[in-house]
Amino acid sequence: MRALVIDDSRTMRRIVVAALRSLGFETVEAQHGREALDVLESGEEVDLACIDWNMPVMTGYDFVVATRANPEWRDITLMMVTTESEHGQIVKALAAGAHEYLIKPFTPDAIRDKLQLLGLVEYEETA
Amino acid sequence: MSAAIDMGIFAETVFAIAEEVFTAMIDPEPGALQPALEPTELSEDATWAWVDVHGEHPGRVMLGTDHDTAMLLTRALLAVPEDEAVSEADFVDAVGEIANVVGGNIKALVPDPGPLTLPQVAPVPPGDGATLLHRAQLVWRGHPLVITLWSLS
Amino acid sequence: MTLTTDTFTWVSGLVRQRSAIVLETGKEYLVESRLLPLARAAGSTDVDAYVRGIRQAGSPRALEQVVEALTTNETSWFRDALPFTTLTRHIVPQLEAERPGGVVKVWSAACSSGQEAYSIAMALEHLVAARRLEILGTDLNQQVVERARAARYNQLEVNRGLPAPMLVKYFTRHGSDWEVSPTLRSVTTFARHNLLDAPPGGPFDVVFLRNVLIYFDLPTKRDVLRRVRQAIRPGGYLLLGAAETTIGIDDGWERVSHDRGSVYRPASGRAA
Repeated sequence: MRALVIDDSRTMRRIVVAALRSLGFETVEAQHGREALDVLESGEEVDLACIDWNMPVMTGYDFVVATRANPEWRDITLMMVTTESEHGQIVKALAAGAHEYLIKPFTPDAIRDKLQLLGLVEYEETA
Repeated sequence: MSAAIDMGIFAETVFAIAEEVFTAMIDPEPGALQPALEPTELSEDATWAWVDVHGEHPGRVMLGTDHDTAMLLTRALLAVPEDEAVSEADFVDAVGEIANVVGGNIKALVPDPGPLTLPQVAPVPPGDGATLLHRAQLVWRGHPLVITLWSLS
Repeated sequence: MTLTTDTFTWVSGLVRQRSAIVLETGKEYLVESRLLPLARAAGSTDVDAYVRGIRQAGSPRALEQVVEALTTNETSWFRDALPFTTLTRHIVPQLEAERPGGVVKVWSAACSSGQEAYSIAMALEHLVAARRLEILGTDLNQQVVERARAARYNQLEVNRGLPAPMLVKYFTRHGSDWEVSPTLRSVTTFARHNLLDAPPGGPFDVVFLRNVLIYFDLPTKRDVLRRVRQAIRPGGYLLLGAAETTIGIDDGWERVSHDRGSVYRPASGRAA
């Protein structure tokens, strides 16, 4: 499984990448929505995108809209990972086609929980 | 911003937000972050990180702490052990991200907030005549930390 | 923040031995994050050093702390998912078929701060009319019961397994917290209760007793299961945690088909 981690903060990318790697994902990074689209357009196969909202050049919201408009990318699971936590923002992102929404700050357990909900990580008979 | 936030609950909420950020991403130990019992002074070698919120109630959320503390926060956030160097770029990015996450959550307390600016990190606070609305003094493992809320209108 | 394989293997061995809980590869981050506070409190630089210290000279108490840190009941929404889909797809339709229009009573035993009870309410919102649904959450700890009643959760808590569409549908913001909607709160009540006491009402149609028995010794498990059996209707259902079973503990139960998770019914009873 491969995940595209999109955030203008290198710190945040590092944190998300570490959590995803420990769950068995390979990762690719982008600093904003435009770069992320470039990654997809280059033919990179991606199962999951973890998307910050506020980024220069192209926001995560616009990335979601663009991705959902392209039939070739229909199967990519889109999860917002952002500080934007107002009710209206979450509704807006889901309406645009985001599948899930993780509010910062989050723990690695929270990422795992969301990916289990999305069927990207197995539920296990464990703690 | 003050018109939009009940300053009475702000103090409790700002601590709750900071505590969530710290517990989740910096220091999982419960109780590591506490409200300061008395006013705390930062050293001359301090680090300031802030984000601005545009919109109807323009404001600023700023973090201030000693440079050494900011370095410890960076190491914790990035999981960099003591014997490894931290680049200036990593430091600025990490501290800025803390301000970004704290600021983003505080912003959610205001009705119809605008977007956040990119975080800025500097050895001196911005001297642009913003009005101080609230100061929250915290202590992280004995290190002072200040979170301030400003009006920019 | 990288645990050695050796440390992880030793810790998971200890936890498995003491609690029957399995920590498979992929859970290194969990061991790291749960043991880091203990490591720091003990003055160790990292978890590997801390575990090395325990292996060399650890007290029984230190071993206990490690196990406790890794087996603490995680409070997440819709924990493990399957019990909730079993509830909506199999259990409640069966109950409705056996007693159309009857009141559905659900007991969330050891409910902690209420996430399980409200998850049940969310799962059943469209299936069972509010006036016919009674969900009771109980816990030994009074503080936690009050938290459940307050129905407010912070950002970290709502990040745990709660689908975002449900967050926006069933919660409203309250400062930096999220509050459960009145619709869900109208079908849930909470009370303090000790599992070793007589049941808190009933008879119940469904009992969630998930990831609680693991903390008890065998005689106590037996006792608790016996009491639960007294509180459940003959046609009722018991849901245990993913790795749990009544087998070898209480033979008064029969297991419902395996792909539906750890689901049991009283052995003597069929639908009334």
